Parts: sequence; structure tokens; C-alpha cells
Amino acid sequence: MQARRCAMAVCAHDGTNQGPIPKMLLPFEYAFRNLSRRPVRTALTLFALSVVILLVFIVVAFIRGLEQSLGDSGDPEVVLVYSVNSEDNLENSSIAARTPALLTASLDGALERFGIKHVSPELVLGTRVSSANDPVGLGLLRGVTLNAPLVRRAIRLEEGNWPGPGEVMAGKLVAAKLGCDESSLAVGNPIDFEGRTWRISGRFAAGGTAYEAELWCRLEDFQSATKRQDLSLIAMLLKPQCSAAEVELFCIERTDLELRAIRETEYYASLEQHYQPVRMLAWLVVWLVSAAGVFTGLNMMYGAVAGRVREIATLQTIGYRRRAILLSLVQEGVLLAAASSLVAGTIALILFNGLAVRFTMGAFALRIDSISILTGCGVGLLLGVLGSLPPALKALRTEVASALKAI
Amino acid sequence: MRIVFTIVVLCSLLTSLLTSIGCQPNKEKAPTARAAGSAFVLAEEPGEAIPVGTAKESTKDGDDVVVLGLVGGSTKPFVEGLAAFTIVDPKVPYCADEEGCPTPWDYCCQIDAVRQNIATVKLVDSSGKPVMQGARELLPVKELSTVVVQGIAKRDEQGNLTIAAHHVFVRPGK
Repeated sequence: MQARRCAMAVCAHDGTNQGPIPKMLLPFEYAFRNLSRRPVRTALTLFALSVVILLVFIVVAFIRGLEQSLGDSGDPEVVLVYSVNSEDNLENSSIAARTPALLTASLDGALERFGIKHVSPELVLGTRVSSANDPVGLGLLRGVTLNAPLVRRAIRLEEGNWPGPGEVMAGKLVAAKLGCDESSLAVGNPIDFEGRTWRISGRFAAGGTAYEAELWCRLEDFQSATKRQDLSLIAMLLKPQCSAAEVELFCIERTDLELRAIRETEYYASLEQHYQPVRMLAWLVVWLVSAAGVFTGLNMMYGAVAGRVREIATLQTIGYRRRAILLSLVQEGVLLAAASSLVAGTIALILFNGLAVRFTMGAFALRIDSISILTGCGVGLLLGVLGSLPPALKALRTEVASALKAI
Repeated sequence: MRIVFTIVVLCSLLTSLLTSIGCQPNKEKAPTARAAGSAFVLAEEPGEAIPVGTAKESTKDGDDVVVLGLVGGSTKPFVEGLAAFTIVDPKVPYCADEEGCPTPWDYCCQIDAVRQNIATVKLVDSSGKPVMQGARELLPVKELSTVVVQGIAKRDEQGNLTIAAHHVFVRPGK
């Protein structure tokens, strides 16, 4: 096949046949074999590109994890009522303990089943937490009543029991938040905060939401430990036909209570907005890492093409069009980049997917989801194209006659 | 190498363009023409309007009132999805433009004064129920608009004043 193509090409150039130069492409194996001709260079480039693409995967997984943690945390049917003076920070919020009763008495919006209103009074606090074997870390505590799981519908008790007196249950990302060993938070282990020793009664998951980085205990125990009588917020699950605007109207009518009501989804959307600069910075890192990857690819391809000037000129002489040679060189780059994407993607999925990351508001897990894979592999393939185009174009611009004499 | 630089410059320009589009602040919602034609809007200013502070001292539950105030009192004075908002007595100063405060209508420097000089306005239908539509869709108002509200006062034991408004006049200007 190769011989037949060469023969046709020579025929086209020697002037005996005046027909058009056939539109031949270099065989796919040509690019593949060229990569295996220089195994060390190829392996090193594969490694370098894999590292670059892996970094892209990790940064995108960080962004996706942060977005999902905040995006999934809000329930569209839940309204949060908290102090108007807290500046959207629930830990700063302080409302009177009688507010839940006042709210349920004044409004008919809360869902009620079997005589129980789905209203959860909560006290939230960031405080120092230490376990038996680990140093002190800053933990996020939430004092709750038995109504909490009625309103926080993502909560799933995975191990142990709901906290009793002097007990606390830990979210699955608490270890990452506290920077301690996972075994320290095993059910039955002691944990210290607010001058008391508590026993871990259970572990819970919350569908990847921000609650997974929290420790939950009984509201009255927490109020007693912190010597506080107030609440941070009230979470209220609305009836299907009820609007959050009615709760909001109650809050602005009762100016003496200094309350503010907001849909939980809007609250977490505002937090997401707060972290917008971090996201922008992370996307900038993706661009910078990708640019570094392009230069890695360029470096490799310049090196690869520089030693093949005669070969490229020969290919032109025997009839292959510049476009075909260019395509073959790009093919080499893309092949390598695709292999690197696969390697990086596999490593990212095995080692980094679900890895807990400590963050200011708690902790979240890195997410190698469809968007991360699409971005990572897309960047990888783009590196292959962008990295191989300039050196290939440069090589093809060289005069065939002088290129054939090149050493 | 020129091609590389061209590609890098193009990518940077594209990024900057996308970033600048994404970061554009929301333009302040201008009062709509439809709002100006709403049944709640008064064409002429009703006479003898009393400022919010005076209304809080002198009105009783169920009184017919005409109250003057500026839309504000918090960072979000409008209730989304329901025709209600808060107004503050015009005597309470708010941050001047040159101070560069992004939300002067929250009266952040006058919190104590606002407590005594704030009222809630809710537009009600003929049956007295709040209208389930944003106030900005019904009235040509925005934050710090001066409004004259005509309606019935609702007082509670804590001294809060709510006006169940049937008509609102919006003074031209700010």
C-alpha cells in the first residue's frame, strides 16, 4: 500500500504524468510508530502532559466540589429565619428563643404532619474541638432538636444513633474539617468542646452538602454548654402551596424582632457568590496550568520535529502534501495528549475523587464528575493540537531542497 | 513562535472578555412602564401626608392614613413575590452619594433612628389580602424612591406600623 502510494507520488512529480497530485494522507500507523521510535522522549512527554492534565482535573474538581457543596445545601422548600443584623453569617445571628413559637403561631406556612410543625430551631457556632489523640481544630457545631431531620431532608444517619444527652453526631467530612484522623471520630469515642467531654453517638451523611462538615448535638445541651438562651436560626419547611414571601412579610412587619427570612437556596446562592473570587482564581489556575501544558507540548514537538526535517522534506518530495504531513504531526501530538488525558483521568478518579478538602465554611469533597472529565480531557486534547501545530508549521515552511541537505 | 504568541494573546483576550461579561454588575432595575399604569398608582399626590415617624406616634389601629416615606430600611426593602416594602421617615439621613456606599437605602449608620421611623407598606386587593406580585412590577419604585402611601394603619402591641395600602403616589426624582 505504502509502495503504491509512493509510486503514485513519484509519478506525479517526474513530469510524465500531468494529472493532479493525489490527495494522500499519511497512514495512521505512521504517527503511532513515530511515537514509539523515541520511547524515552515519548514517555517523558507523556508524564509531563499527564501531570499538567492531572492538575487541571484537580482544580476543576475543587471548583465542582465547592459549587456542589453550596448548590446542593439549599432546599427550595425551606426558609431560614435569622437575625437581620447577622450580615448573612448564621454564626453571628442571635434571635430570641421564643421566636419559633411566635412564628408558628403567626404564620400558617409551615408544613405540619401528625401534629408536628416542620420547624427546626438551631444554634450554630464555630468552636475549638479536640479529640483524644488529635490536636485542637476549629469545628462547626449545630445544636438541633428532633425536628431537624424533618426539615433537613438530606440527613441520613449512617452509623450509630441520634445524639442523646451529652452526645454528638459527626458528619462524614468532620475529620477533614478538624484535620484529625477518621478513627478519632468513631462511634463511642470522646470529643471535647466548650469545656465538656461529649460522646460520639453516630455518623451521618447529608448528600454532599455543607452539613457533612458539622457536628450535631441536642439544642438544650449545646445552649447549656455555651451558656446561651438564644438561637441562631429557624429553618422552616413550607407547605407546598405556601410562599416564602409570606414569611418574609412577617419578618418585615415585625420590625421589633429584627428578623430576616430567606429561602435556603438563595442563602447558599449568596454564599456561592461570596466565593466567586475563589472560583475565578481557580479557573485562572486552570488557564495557567493549561498554558504550561501547551508549552510542554510545544517543547516536545519542536524537539521531535527538529530532528525530522529531512524526513518531512522526503515525505514532501515523494508526493505527500504539506497538509497531510501537518495532519500527521498533529495526530502525533493528539495521540500523546489523549493517552495523557486517560492516564490523568484514571489517577484523578482513583486517588482524588471524593477527597475531603478543608475550607473556611467547613469541608467539601473533590468531585471528578462529568464536567471535570469533559474539561480535563478537553484541555488535554487541546494541548495536543496547540502544542504540535506551531512546530509542524515551522518545519513545513523550510525549503524542501535545503531541508533534504539538513544534518 | 509568532503563532504561539498570537494563540496565547487570543486566549487571554477571550478569557478577559468572558470574565468581564460574567462580572458585570446587575443593572439597577428601572421602574417599568407597566408599573406606572398600575391601578395602585396615584396620578396626583394626596394632601396632608404625614411622615412615618409621626404616623408611628399618632395613628391607631384601623385609622385611614396618608404616610410619606422613602423606600428603604434594610439592604433588601422589597419582598420578592409579594407587593410589600418598608419605608423610612425622610428626616432620617442616609449615606450621601459621595460616600460611595453601595446600599445607602439600608441606613447602616442610622440603625437606632430607623427603628423608630420605619413602617411596612403592603399593597392589598379589594378583599384586604396582600397582592402576590412584586411591588416593583406594580409601582414605578426603586430603593430610596419617595412615596406617599394611602391606606389603613395596622398597629400591634410592639408599636410596629403596617399600612395596608390601596394607592401609592411616587414622587418624581430619586
